[in-house]
Amino acid sequence: MKNTFYKTIYVLLIIFLLTLILSGCGGNGVKEETRNYFKVGVITSLSGPEVYGGNITKRGYEVWANEVNKKGGIKIGDKKYEVKLVFADDQSDPTAGADAVERMITSEKVDFILGPYTSGVTMAIAPILEKYKIPMITGSAESPLIWQQKFKYTFGIIPAADITGSSPITTLAKDVQPLPKTIAIIGINDPFSKSVAEAFKKSAEQEGIKVLKYDIVPSGTDFTPLISAIKELKPDILAVGGHDKDHMEIIKASKTLGFLPKAFVMHYGITSPEFTKNMGKDGDFTIGATVWTPALNLKDELFGSTKNYVEFMQKEYGVTPDYTEAGCAVTGEVFAAALAKINATPPLSEEERDKLVTALEQIELKDTLFGPIKFATEGNWYHDNTGLKPLTVQIIDGKQVIVGPKNLREQAPVYPQPDFDKR
Amino acid sequence: MGLLIQTLVNGILIGGIFITIAVGFTLAFGVMDIVDFAVGEWVMLGAFTAFWVNYFLHVDPLYMIPVVMVVYGLIGYFFQPVIQKVINIKHRSAALIALAFTFGLSIFLRGSALTLWGFNNRNLISWISDKNVDVFGITLPALRVSATVFAIIITIVFMLFLNKTKTGIMIRAAAENKVVAGLMGIDGHRIARLVYAIYVGLTSVAGIFLGAIFSVHPDMGVRYTAFAFFIVVAGGLGSFSGAIAAGLLLGLIDSFVSVYLGGAYIFLILFLVLFLVLLFFPKGILGKGW
Repeated sequence: MKNTFYKTIYVLLIIFLLTLILSGCGGNGVKEETRNYFKVGVITSLSGPEVYGGNITKRGYEVWANEVNKKGGIKIGDKKYEVKLVFADDQSDPTAGADAVERMITSEKVDFILGPYTSGVTMAIAPILEKYKIPMITGSAESPLIWQQKFKYTFGIIPAADITGSSPITTLAKDVQPLPKTIAIIGINDPFSKSVAEAFKKSAEQEGIKVLKYDIVPSGTDFTPLISAIKELKPDILAVGGHDKDHMEIIKASKTLGFLPKAFVMHYGITSPEFTKNMGKDGDFTIGATVWTPALNLKDELFGSTKNYVEFMQKEYGVTPDYTEAGCAVTGEVFAAALAKINATPPLSEEERDKLVTALEQIELKDTLFGPIKFATEGNWYHDNTGLKPLTVQIIDGKQVIVGPKNLREQAPVYPQPDFDKR
Repeated sequence: MGLLIQTLVNGILIGGIFITIAVGFTLAFGVMDIVDFAVGEWVMLGAFTAFWVNYFLHVDPLYMIPVVMVVYGLIGYFFQPVIQKVINIKHRSAALIALAFTFGLSIFLRGSALTLWGFNNRNLISWISDKNVDVFGITLPALRVSATVFAIIITIVFMLFLNKTKTGIMIRAAAENKVVAGLMGIDGHRIARLVYAIYVGLTSVAGIFLGAIFSVHPDMGVRYTAFAFFIVVAGGLGSFSGAIAAGLLLGLIDSFVSVYLGGAYIFLILFLVLFLVLLFFPKGILGKGW
């Protein structure tokens, strides 16, 4: 009888202890721990084919975190809270990204997330963020498909590719002589690059430029046969939706095959420091799209101004940032402003995270190093920052020069581009 | 017509580079009985070696071919016993363990390259990078022509070596039947080391060409591992001439599908061909495999 009594006590004790432990581990959304800093998740491509861009985003996020910590942290009320970044590698693969973000949310219990480099991974992890109710801003992803799905917890700093992608084609269709009549378009088979290629096609058709070839090819393709086929068609413009590696290989293949269209239009990657460093003179005169250039001088609360930020990057890292890196650097500032608005201290509860989403929807930052930030709350670009004007840039002497639209340009586009051996 | 010939030539030229990888890969498979998952990483290491030497010493990548071949040959020679040790483990799934070992090796090499040299894409430039040869209106990129010429020379030298020299005959004997070759006094371990050295040396040289034609980055090898598998399976496991034919076939499929069907269909057609080959010619397209 006594034994049975003790056994019952033991069992009850074990159940009690287990309940305590489990309530500590699970129960997402409950303030289960105390800490005086914000735990910020970063998920991006730290390995796999998009590792270069992944590291650009990582550096952008880190620069923000270091700078904000140097100044004592994010100011909430009268107190400042430091930020601690927690990294997850999506391996440039949407499935691996979904696994990694779920692991990061459940084991690290991050307050909010700074999002992936690629659109493919962003789309794969967005539903997981809905499930765990964790807000995320991506400082890089640009595919319009992300915003069409109207995810509540996902936001984006860079305007969608269908807004930016049309800009170089429109510039060429209006502001050069002789006007281009034909175009060949190549898109790499990933959500972002495909969207860019589609944007090129749509705007070319709208502007009356005849599309001679439109081809979506897998990543890692040998471009030589494709360029041979395009060379036969003699298009005025060769437009490519892809990343810096694809653009490099396409220009190299074109050069070896003796093919030079009047303009190469390429998005994204020609504004990255690596493109000009690798391509040298061969990369000059390539035209691309952006929403930001290092030459802009805008006010910024954290860095002081765009100029300060660019100088800081050149001094500390030896690089001139492009719009993706700058977009990532500003992402944390947006979160900080929204957190200050709702007076939320770490760790964030589920209710606070919901309030954070509402604050992000309402936020309107006029002065940041990236330009004005306001997220759309309806329509096809739901939760994307649509406040920025798309610009057409051309690489001239290794630097980005704004060549369109006409009212904002630094100089007229160089068209047709000079021969490779006359640069 | 011009485009058709250009496409054909492009296919042969890229196929030539695949042959350089396929020749060593097939031989290593024949002698060691394992497929080396790290094949693409030897390509990557060869490309990076040429890049760094070019970067610091300004030596043209093409002049690096003999050095890379010897250095990586030695690396292969001294590394082979490690793999052999795994193959010889007394376990009923030793081959599977060895396969997992090379898979691990590939991840290790890729990860090390990423940690050591960073994530940047690099452009490897040779003095012939922007040269081309115009033959009857067909533009031949000089770098690809050199790669193909190199592949042809290597293949001929290899054929002669395998057929005319004592060591070559020993290699063929070991590839065909290790037990009988061993009974005839052939030192299987020495042969395996030699073959692995040749394979690693050749593959890293292919890396120089591939790096110069495309770009150099830690992940560049992955697709060549897939291609090496296609070549070995379509050519017939262990078949030397089959591998050459499959290398060319791969180049031609790549080129023709890109131009006439669209780049999106390359992998679809490639694996459809592989499926049909396995179904109708399980011993490879020349019927000379196992």
